[in-house]
Amino acid sequence: MIILEQVSKMFRLPHDKKWTLRQRFVGILQKKTYEDFYALRDINLKVNQGEFLGIIGKNGSGKSTLLKLIAKVLEPTSGKITVNGNVSPFLELGIGFQGDLTVRDNIFLYGALLGLSRDEIRNRYDWIIDFSGLERFVDAKLKNLSSGMQVRLGFSITVSVESPILLVDEVLAVGDIDFQHKCYDCFESFKKNGRTIVFVSHDLNAVEKFCDRVVLLEEGKAITEGCPLDVLTLYKSQEK
Amino acid sequence: MLQRQNYIYLTLIIAITDFKIKYDNSILGYFWSLLKPLLMFGTLYLVFSVFVRWNVENYRLYLLLGIILWNFLSEVTLNSMVLLQSKASILKKVYFPRWIVVIASSLTSLLSLLLNMIVFFIFFIFSGAHFKVSGLYLFVYLAELYVLVLGLALLLCSLFPKFRDIHHIWEVFVQLGFWATPIIYPISIVPAKYHKLIFLNPAARIIQGCREVLIGPGSEFLSLTNHIIIITFAASLFVAGLLMFNKLSRSFAEDL
Repeated sequence: MIILEQVSKMFRLPHDKKWTLRQRFVGILQKKTYEDFYALRDINLKVNQGEFLGIIGKNGSGKSTLLKLIAKVLEPTSGKITVNGNVSPFLELGIGFQGDLTVRDNIFLYGALLGLSRDEIRNRYDWIIDFSGLERFVDAKLKNLSSGMQVRLGFSITVSVESPILLVDEVLAVGDIDFQHKCYDCFESFKKNGRTIVFVSHDLNAVEKFCDRVVLLEEGKAITEGCPLDVLTLYKSQEK
Repeated sequence: MLQRQNYIYLTLIIAITDFKIKYDNSILGYFWSLLKPLLMFGTLYLVFSVFVRWNVENYRLYLLLGIILWNFLSEVTLNSMVLLQSKASILKKVYFPRWIVVIASSLTSLLSLLLNMIVFFIFFIFSGAHFKVSGLYLFVYLAELYVLVLGLALLLCSLFPKFRDIHHIWEVFVQLGFWATPIIYPISIVPAKYHKLIFLNPAARIIQGCREVLIGPGSEFLSLTNHIIIITFAASLFVAGLLMFNKLSRSFAEDL
């Protein structure tokens, strides 16, 4: 279960980012050159166990920030986030793979990052390779793989962890049709097993098909939430 | 989130993969970490035993030990910042306790310290020096050094994402410290009034202690007082580093 209470995330948008001490000292004399940018503002959200929640919205509306907050990668500026259960984040392309390592090494590294022990990864290893369809590439360096293959690998590892909460951020679009079907089959079985999924996507058909509930974000605010059909209709009507 | 026993595995695997990446495409591979202090030793030994002569008993061992220990300090502190930077893509996407990166980077250096110490003991045996049982105190000094260095690394790493200059500044400090510590020269050539200043540096105390315990002569730094001074220094630096790291590492995902 995930509960967000009055959560806001503010980023300082510098007009000229200061990276060094010198720039900082010079900067003291100058006027402040940043503005406060609220990526998320006063979000209240409750995701029940076993729910498949979709989050939609335009680019820059705060979808990924919301997932990163739930994954604890970012700290909220204000508000409180409570998460019960392990979270497996699957964020963006590449998901933090190391390009210079082989596929095999990346599986062990990423598995460990997601909290698995060596034996647990070993047990899942064959399944991961099989599901991602990368049998021939296990000893290839990751940087030589296509972006679609990388996403397949990332998804396979994340899914294999079997954590009760899964965060998925707009990545499936890169996989080919066959893999997308595999993923959607996966989602179906998750739903049956009562796992919680937060799903960010621009693929409105998928959102409509899988989600129990959809939240529409606009400029950092949750403007509606409800059953997929209603929210999607509203979202589509905004486009014109 | 993660179970505790898996932290250890995660630390190990980050250290191992970092190791693989670092020595990938290099023929001598890991030997470089062994070779670097030895080459430095060779150069300095040539200069300071042929051109300049100190009056130090067993100068070879004296110098080698100093270089190995200082090299460990410089490697852990500098590499921890580099590792933090190179793991930015992971830190931005998965949550795990950030101090794991610092510990992981210290492990590779710890391994090369141990290998270097083996090389040292080979020299030791061939120099005809005698090993005393009290030499085992070496491990106490090494443990103190490790805590000290880890504290420094934590402090540096917590500041690094916001102030990248720290890396360059620290590089200069390490260089400065190398010459301000009796590593290549005996402390006897330094005027007595500066001794206090030099031994403000706990690393200098540790290095002298290690020498006295293994090759002697002298026993100035074997006293309990010396240990207390070192441990106080190291422990407070470590606690300060930990507190600061804990506070500042929360925004690493934004700053890196």
